[in-house]
Amino acid sequence: MNSLAFVLVLHLCWVGLSACVPSSQGRMVLRLAAIPPLVSTVVALGVLLGSSGDAPSLDVSWVPGLDLEFVFQIDSLAALMTLLVSGIGVLVFVYANGYFGPTAAGTGRFATTLLAFSTAMLGLVWADSVWTLFVFWEATSITSFLLVGHKSVDAAARLAARRALLITAGGGLALLAGLLILADRAGTTRLDDMGPVGGTAGGVAAALVLVAAATKSAQFPFHVWLPGAMAAPTPVSAYLHSATMVKAGVLLVALLGPALGETDVWKPVGIGFGLLSAFWGAIGALRHTDAKLILAWGTVSQLGLMIVLLSAGSGKAVFAAVSLILAHAVFKAALFMVVGEIDVRAGTRDISALSGLGSRMPLAAMVAVVSGASMAGVPPLLGFTAKEAAIEAALKMDGLEALVVGFAVIGGSVLTVAYTVRLLLGLFGPSDQPATDIADRRPAMAFPSALLAVGSVLGYVFLGTVNSLVRPAAVQVQPEAEVYYLLRWPGITTAFLISVAIVVAGSTVGWLVFRRPLGVPSPVGAGVVDRGTDGVLSVARFVTGRVQHGSLPVYMAVMAMTVIVAALPFAFDVEPSAIYLWDSPMQGVLAVVVVGAAVLTSGMASSRLGAALGLGSVGVAVSGLFVVHGAPDLALTQLLVETVIVVGFVLGLGHLTRRFPSAKAGWRLLRLVVSVCVGGAVALALASSASNPSGVPPLEDLTVAAVDEGGGNNLVNVILTDVRALDTLGEVVVLAVAALGILALTESGRSRKEEVA
Amino acid sequence: MIRSTSPVAELGVRAATPPALMVGMFLFFAGHNRPGGGFAAGLIIGAVVALRWMVGLRTTVVPSQLMAAGIVIVAGVALAPVLFGSVVLDQAVWSTSLPVLGKVKAGSAAIFDIGVSAIVVGLVIAVIDGLSPATTSAPEGQSS
Repeated sequence: MNSLAFVLVLHLCWVGLSACVPSSQGRMVLRLAAIPPLVSTVVALGVLLGSSGDAPSLDVSWVPGLDLEFVFQIDSLAALMTLLVSGIGVLVFVYANGYFGPTAAGTGRFATTLLAFSTAMLGLVWADSVWTLFVFWEATSITSFLLVGHKSVDAAARLAARRALLITAGGGLALLAGLLILADRAGTTRLDDMGPVGGTAGGVAAALVLVAAATKSAQFPFHVWLPGAMAAPTPVSAYLHSATMVKAGVLLVALLGPALGETDVWKPVGIGFGLLSAFWGAIGALRHTDAKLILAWGTVSQLGLMIVLLSAGSGKAVFAAVSLILAHAVFKAALFMVVGEIDVRAGTRDISALSGLGSRMPLAAMVAVVSGASMAGVPPLLGFTAKEAAIEAALKMDGLEALVVGFAVIGGSVLTVAYTVRLLLGLFGPSDQPATDIADRRPAMAFPSALLAVGSVLGYVFLGTVNSLVRPAAVQVQPEAEVYYLLRWPGITTAFLISVAIVVAGSTVGWLVFRRPLGVPSPVGAGVVDRGTDGVLSVARFVTGRVQHGSLPVYMAVMAMTVIVAALPFAFDVEPSAIYLWDSPMQGVLAVVVVGAAVLTSGMASSRLGAALGLGSVGVAVSGLFVVHGAPDLALTQLLVETVIVVGFVLGLGHLTRRFPSAKAGWRLLRLVVSVCVGGAVALALASSASNPSGVPPLEDLTVAAVDEGGGNNLVNVILTDVRALDTLGEVVVLAVAALGILALTESGRSRKEEVA
Repeated sequence: MIRSTSPVAELGVRAATPPALMVGMFLFFAGHNRPGGGFAAGLIIGAVVALRWMVGLRTTVVPSQLMAAGIVIVAGVALAPVLFGSVVLDQAVWSTSLPVLGKVKAGSAAIFDIGVSAIVVGLVIAVIDGLSPATTSAPEGQSS
């Protein structure tokens, strides 16, 4: 079996089975949930180590007629991302075992959702067709919504989850539009085969794709969902907001850069998003005192840097961006884990309330200092070489671009060092407050973060291995990246001097702002989003109140008028010569006698039951017309439907008085006019369609196909269940949804009645 | 509540139920080669349920569950071919010889039709249940 298919099916089955486990066994689900990511990590390692030329791929055709297919491929970039998604995923699952105490509720649900997210993320990084990419992109939005809102009793968590969903799903719509344009222009849906796309259409697609990436990667001004998403349990933040979900946007920019990078829009818009985010995120990180929020805002800033580099698109910049993706995932996940551990053990994660943790939690402090140093770009750590590459990439550019990218990289780095210093001092530094009480160590929490911190060190020690991971991935995005590699010791170069200056300046700023609370910024952007959402809802309420006022006659009149207006254009198409009275006189008899009589009955009847029966007999007569016309299937169905409708009528009439209420003559006349007009309009439309036959139905072919392929002699039913089975599928689903609507309406009506009674 | 006070009506409906269901089943299988099919069969069965309802014989079937089962069936038949390397909604036809009945042919479309019937029956029950007046106490098995 294909290794890709195996891993995906394993993940999906595991999610399905986990969902079926009763919630009392939630711990077990959480304990075992690390297994599928472990398997996919092994597969990714196999791909990276095995040098067999072809990347493993999987191609599942789903609706060939519509070019819908699931296409997966583990190329170099995907393998690197898999390592992050699944490798850090394993650690996060281990960590979650410690994070959730033995009495925590909903651990099974949590583990299932997190695994589902992990599956969606795998599909996303493996996707090799724009449609597959889109499907899994949306899947990550939905699962992350569930994860952010995990504490569903908490109103703040629900609000944050809604905000995250609205923004990322809105970005998903932009992505869909962008991908549609892109696939159309490029003439292929495969990411592999896509050549550069230009022109206005390419520009529009580029803008849409960048907006989508910005929503997912929490880029300014779409970043507003990320701080709120910190309401999620910390394992979620360590996973989604370091290595995976937010990296999806960066990945998108990397994947589509080759196709859209040559449009006029790509560079300025991408660099604009990234530049603003790099600074605004870092400033946010400097102002908050909640350690988790500091990290979240820091993520906005770091992702901004990656987007700047990827949008700039030179070989060195792409290479630096890919290195940053790797380094950032490793140190940011570790930092989130440490903050979560402090939160659990000390009961708070506010840096102004914590004190004396440095000596009481030595291991956590070490992990945080190492990972923080990697984030700040201090040797000998992985973050240092990645940042060094970014500075060199900026130095290699010319003109305005060098200025802007250099500004983003250097300015962003200074601020990053500053908030790192402030965070570490706040968490572990000296304080005049009494030392915080802490609970016992939880090994399951300490181990994964320690491993990641060691990873930051080992990444530097075994830089050759890291190079062999990063370079092919970067080359896939930008072939010119082939010549670059991460340097362990650059020597005293310009870049190194800049690096030193960054650390010195940043530390000074961090030290200066540490004791000075800058005032927590009000969540302006989030407020705007929430007000927007509430505004839409209240407009909807207003419009619904005006349109749905509950008067049945008005509803009927609106529908009738619509039919009349819709039928009017057909009046010009009617060909009088094509209209004749009947095929056989029997039709005339049925039409005139039975239908006429029935109409009279229902029109004249003073009792409701009589009118309903009269309408039923009209239906029966129409059924008779079908028989005469030689359509027994239609006749049978019509007869049965008519029967059931009459029964429904009879039951429903029990709610009403026996007789029609007496109406004024004017009303009766109005209703008569509307009825006649609607009847006339339908007749007109039918006459026009009969006047303009658009071809002869392929009866012969269908009959042969019905017997050969459908295995039945009844052409109508073979069409329904085989030839056009997709239509039938859609129709019965609509039917079921309508029935559910009926159930919901009548249930709510009943419970309201009971309340009144 | 429309509840028959006439035992005769109730008995009559009880007696009519099996033959009516037979007609429904007949239409279901006839649909392959002659008029009928899953939709018509569903309507007949739904009409039987309605008729019984009118004389006070309630069903314990929960319409939403029945419809859910129907959707699962049609979607399952639609997706099953993908597992066997074919395309969505591709039909499989099996034929075999059975004693007494002789040559029997069955297509996956028949299973598809079962799903359609289930949805139609569920719809009819939902409508009847919703429209029948003054069912203040929900009948047995009625989910909210």
